[in-house]
Amino acid sequence: MTRVRVTAPHTGQGLPGQRAAGPVESRETAQDSDVGQVFVRSLIRSQLRLALVVAAGFLLILAAFPLLLVLAPGLAETGIAGVPFGWLLLGVGIYPVIGLSAWLYVRTAARNEARYRDLAGEQ
Amino acid sequence: MTWPGNNEPPRSGEPVSAGVAMAAVAVVTVATVVIGFHGLRISRTTSDFYVASRTVRPWWNASAIGGEYLSAASFLGVAGLILLSGTDALWFPVGYTAGYLMLLLFVAAPLRRSGAYTIPDFTEARLASPAVRRVTSLAVVTVGWLYIVPQLHGAALTVRIATGLPSWVGSVAVVVVVCLTVVAGGMRSITFVQAFQYWLKLTALAVPILFIIFVLAGNGAAPLAPPAANPTGASPAGPYQNVSLLVALLFGTLGLPHVLVRFYTNPDGHSARRTTLIVLGLLSVFYLFPTAYGLVARVFAPGLARAGQADAMVLLLPGRLLGGVAGDLLSALVVAGAFAAFLSTTSGLVVSLAGVISQDVLGGSVRGFRLAAVAAVVVPLGFAFMTDSLALAGSVGLVFAFTASTVCPVLLLGIWWRGLTDAGAIAGMLTGGLLCGGAMVVGAVAGTGQTPPWLAQPAAWTVPTAFAVMVIVSRATAHRVPAGMPRMMTRLHTPERPLATER
Repeated sequence: MTRVRVTAPHTGQGLPGQRAAGPVESRETAQDSDVGQVFVRSLIRSQLRLALVVAAGFLLILAAFPLLLVLAPGLAETGIAGVPFGWLLLGVGIYPVIGLSAWLYVRTAARNEARYRDLAGEQ
Repeated sequence: MTWPGNNEPPRSGEPVSAGVAMAAVAVVTVATVVIGFHGLRISRTTSDFYVASRTVRPWWNASAIGGEYLSAASFLGVAGLILLSGTDALWFPVGYTAGYLMLLLFVAAPLRRSGAYTIPDFTEARLASPAVRRVTSLAVVTVGWLYIVPQLHGAALTVRIATGLPSWVGSVAVVVVVCLTVVAGGMRSITFVQAFQYWLKLTALAVPILFIIFVLAGNGAAPLAPPAANPTGASPAGPYQNVSLLVALLFGTLGLPHVLVRFYTNPDGHSARRTTLIVLGLLSVFYLFPTAYGLVARVFAPGLARAGQADAMVLLLPGRLLGGVAGDLLSALVVAGAFAAFLSTTSGLVVSLAGVISQDVLGGSVRGFRLAAVAAVVVPLGFAFMTDSLALAGSVGLVFAFTASTVCPVLLLGIWWRGLTDAGAIAGMLTGGLLCGGAMVVGAVAGTGQTPPWLAQPAAWTVPTAFAVMVIVSRATAHRVPAGMPRMMTRLHTPERPLATER
């Protein structure tokens, strides 16, 4: 594991560029060129798009849960082992959806970064 | 084991055996202090004190985040609210967990890569403005103080219910223990304390309810009420309230100061994401249990929904449904878990508040951090003495609404939008803070029964307004976009090298 020691920033110190040079600094200066900035912008765009798509997908599923109970009222009363379906859906069923969304996001975000690294490394 | 039955009146005196409960509180307190002091040997420099030098492993860190996040509201409040309002209240645990998903998607990695210690550090670096820093600090300290108050209310309630001692003993005990651990060890020892407390809380909720369900199933106990029946007869929340609550919880989580300070203890952006993934798993498992308590209480002990007692339901349920020695021991376990919840959330908040206060007011030394820690917890103690406990989950929900209206917009726009300016950030935070704070004050003055839904649950309109003001004012002051912005954006979003944790 890399151990990155940083010093406490002091009030009045604005830009990160003014901080003590460290390993983090090199990755910014390397991207100062116009081409570098194009790569960075495209990375930010793809990460934002990914985050928005995952968030929208999750919220759609979340909204579908109560709608399902409204549209199929019989469903709310039936249940497994005495626990009504409505409780199972919101109390248990939503958590795997959250976990799956998170896992998909982490995998794809790392992939976006790997692609950026390949592009920026070739430069 | 005898089944106490439906018509038995609530037991007089202490429902939980006072001696066993006091022993449980003492054990949790001693364990917290011992683990806290154990960490003292390895924290020496300022950097250690603030963020454990960013060397905490993902599993430790995730357990610590879980331990810190699961507060009085999650441990007592959620189950009590489910008892009162049934499936409507299930939005609370869902929102608390999904808030972490939003944190993962929009904030976790960039914030870690910013290299800042606290949220004010981040906004100052991003917008190159000390004025933004001051406004952010103000918002963060307000959020932290507001969030500590319900923890102290929860401690007061637990001590009163469990031991029969006066309420103030609980709040003061929490304040003293937190001061001791934070002042002595700083963040490194806090990480171990928090991680221990996640697992303690999980055990303290899971074992009693599983035992209760097992015994009830074995006895073939007859349900007293269907799950859908409302024990208090209060009207259910409308769709507006549910949506507004969800907005508050989804967007509020990613601005909580004690949650964010944890991300700086990850070695890099990618491990910040992995830590969050583990946290989501831990939270999902935890919230199954308050839900189970709520459901079991609704069906087998609807009498616990009596006015003012819903928050204590988790503490009372083992005694009510089991009784005898088993009931006493399991109650003591729940009391221990509840105390762990107050201690961990309060100490997490105190660490992050002390970080902000000491850097802004006291110059950032270790000594300043200790002074700031005391200030961070004494003010809410005074506030807790002056106010009455509302429903815990509800008052924490309002704090989330306030965070979502102030800190969340500046973080999200700062990370993802190049056009944000210092003027826009300040205008947005002040607008959100005034609107949401105003709604909270009006709601508190008018009382719970008299407040219309749009004031009682303000997030649905205050959060979009704060975002809109921030964007409009930034557009109008576009010339104020700092010159270092492209560099900062590069720093936030590009992966660190070398590839410490990749593949």
